[in-house]
Amino acid sequence: MTDNNLTLVLHGKMDLRLEEKPVLEPGNGEVQLSMRQVGICGSDVNIWVHGEHGGYIVDSPLALGHEGSAVIRKLGPGVTTLKVGDRVAVEPATPCRMCAFCKGGRYNLCPHVKGLAMPGCDGHLTRTFVMAADFCHKVPDNVSDGEAAMAEPMAVSVQATNRGGVKMGDTILICGAGPIGLLCMLTSKARGVHAVCITDIDERRLAFARELGADHTINVRGKSPQDVAAEVEELLGDKPNVTLECSGAQPSITTAVYATRSGGVVVLVGMGATTNEIPTAEASFRELDIRGTFRYVNCFQPALKLMSSGLVNVKPLMTHEFRLEDALQAFETARKGEGIKILINCHKETQGR
Amino acid sequence: MTDINLTAVLFEQNDLRMEDCPIPTPGPGQVLLEMKEVGICGSDVHYWTHGRIGDFVLKAPMVLGHEASAIVSKLGEGVTTLKVGDRVAIEPGVPCRKCNYCKTGRYNLCLEMKFCATPPYDGNLARFYVHDADFCFKLPDHVSFEEGALLEPLSVAVHATNRAGVKLGNTVLVCGAGPIGLLNILTAKAKGAAFVCATDLDASRLEMAKKLGADFTVQVTSRDPLVTVQAIEEALGDKADIAIECSGAAPSLKTAIYATKSGGVVVLVGLGQEMVEMPVVNAGVREVDIRGIFRYVNCYPTALAMIASGKVNVKPLVTHRFKLEESIKAFEAAKRGEGIKIMISCDRKKE
Repeated sequence: MTDNNLTLVLHGKMDLRLEEKPVLEPGNGEVQLSMRQVGICGSDVNIWVHGEHGGYIVDSPLALGHEGSAVIRKLGPGVTTLKVGDRVAVEPATPCRMCAFCKGGRYNLCPHVKGLAMPGCDGHLTRTFVMAADFCHKVPDNVSDGEAAMAEPMAVSVQATNRGGVKMGDTILICGAGPIGLLCMLTSKARGVHAVCITDIDERRLAFARELGADHTINVRGKSPQDVAAEVEELLGDKPNVTLECSGAQPSITTAVYATRSGGVVVLVGMGATTNEIPTAEASFRELDIRGTFRYVNCFQPALKLMSSGLVNVKPLMTHEFRLEDALQAFETARKGEGIKILINCHKETQGR
Repeated sequence: MTDINLTAVLFEQNDLRMEDCPIPTPGPGQVLLEMKEVGICGSDVHYWTHGRIGDFVLKAPMVLGHEASAIVSKLGEGVTTLKVGDRVAIEPGVPCRKCNYCKTGRYNLCLEMKFCATPPYDGNLARFYVHDADFCFKLPDHVSFEEGALLEPLSVAVHATNRAGVKLGNTVLVCGAGPIGLLNILTAKAKGAAFVCATDLDASRLEMAKKLGADFTVQVTSRDPLVTVQAIEEALGDKADIAIECSGAAPSLKTAIYATKSGGVVVLVGLGQEMVEMPVVNAGVREVDIRGIFRYVNCYPTALAMIASGKVNVKPLVTHRFKLEESIKAFEAAKRGEGIKIMISCDRKKE
């Protein structure tokens, strides 16, 4: 098999294959990309293992990958904002640009949005890919290809902290010390918060969180939500005014509500079961705002600037790198829960970082 | 001359002519519109008499008109939100949809904005016109074409009151009782402002302001802003929470600032001289925010809902009506400052 456009394609539950895909030409307003680094997300692992994700079933071959960086290879008609050779971070969703959500500045909520690597829309774990030019964000020279691939999960943390109203001087609780929880912590610190407490059930993840700057950590295994809430308050000296729930686990969601200061905000970042229980009286009497967050809107450029300015250093999270040819092994590694962020290098000529 | 697509074309300053132009074809995502009513705006008159507004300079012939309503006549490829025969109000500015201004919900600030009758883009004072379908808003059966055309200046008032933060219980000062000032009075009241005071040089404009809901009016008789401010404070019993300045006249801008409470907001809607003296220290130490507005953004649906529900009645603003063939007469009347809103009917005369 040639591998001019080697692509990682999901055919169904537990059926991931490397195959050759045609190289597409860029249409109006599009660019052709030579993919560089693409990160694996928990949702990619989930859709592979279950053959479905968030209610969407994989019923025809779907290329995976949505956290990527690339180099512009060719410009489609009408593209003036980018040049061949530009390094870009790919924002993996194209909205309709015409509905009230799009015009109102919330294109992430567009009902017609096409999200990469979701059924019906191929992802970019491939060598050559076509994307709308205005969803390819130029990468500053001092940000590497791998870091640029991290712009996507960083954008999630920018959006989550925006939704929480995280600002200078705040006290923050983050539930879950996986990649998203850790990035939310780094982004909160960049926003000038006073202190961050982070929880998890895995001691290794908590140790890593401390290395990255967590002021306090709590291992919540076996503890009740109310007990954890009390411990959070004791460690921080106050209840946190914003809690970013990044695990999606029911007990953790309950904890978030009990732990947050009256008048504060709980942001539900983590995705677990479709329905959860919430202590509504607690939330209501103490005027807690409970807000969801969906992907990101206008967050890629802030994310890239945070990395370029040094306010956020994501390099410690980039623990593994594989070549595209070894993508199946990369996914197995992710499934075993090893490391934090696994990157797949999709460029044929380069080896290593 | 045939008049199948009779069009009002401004060739250069002071040279407005009626021409028959080819009927345009709608592209993907666009619709061909049979124009119905088009209102004249001060800016249309200004391009005619001055050939420019600020940095926007007329360099080639341009069709005037941007406050308009129409009937959908043909669909371009891919249009699913409208059908032939739909009655629509036209939001006259189509942005690029891709820049950061567009994506952050402030498409009115898009640098590539294509706006009707702002050089170099043609307006819609014609029998036929093509526009992007998602900037055409379907009118309920009970909303007239004239009301549809008035959605444009009403949207200016929606945007201005949004930027001003007008809310329930506020006291609002509206400086200038021309069409824009009057629409701001209507909108402020619709948003629940408790008291609205209007100022103007002209007593008859203030009478209309009262008819449309102003609780108090102050006729400006002195060039000294403080004299006007005193009259306003006497009428309202206090300074205003918010001032919406719709005249662009320097003394009026000063009045607006002095007459606004500490912590309040002054919105500059009226456009006058490029440089205007303002009491910035007074505004600064009293934390009076001064905000500009530019056209409107995401306001057409709100404006339409206000009219469709009957919360706002804009019909009294239409004082003069002309046919498209008589456009030059209509513009002459506008230039003389007659009436409030002059409407031009674009239907072809039926023999």
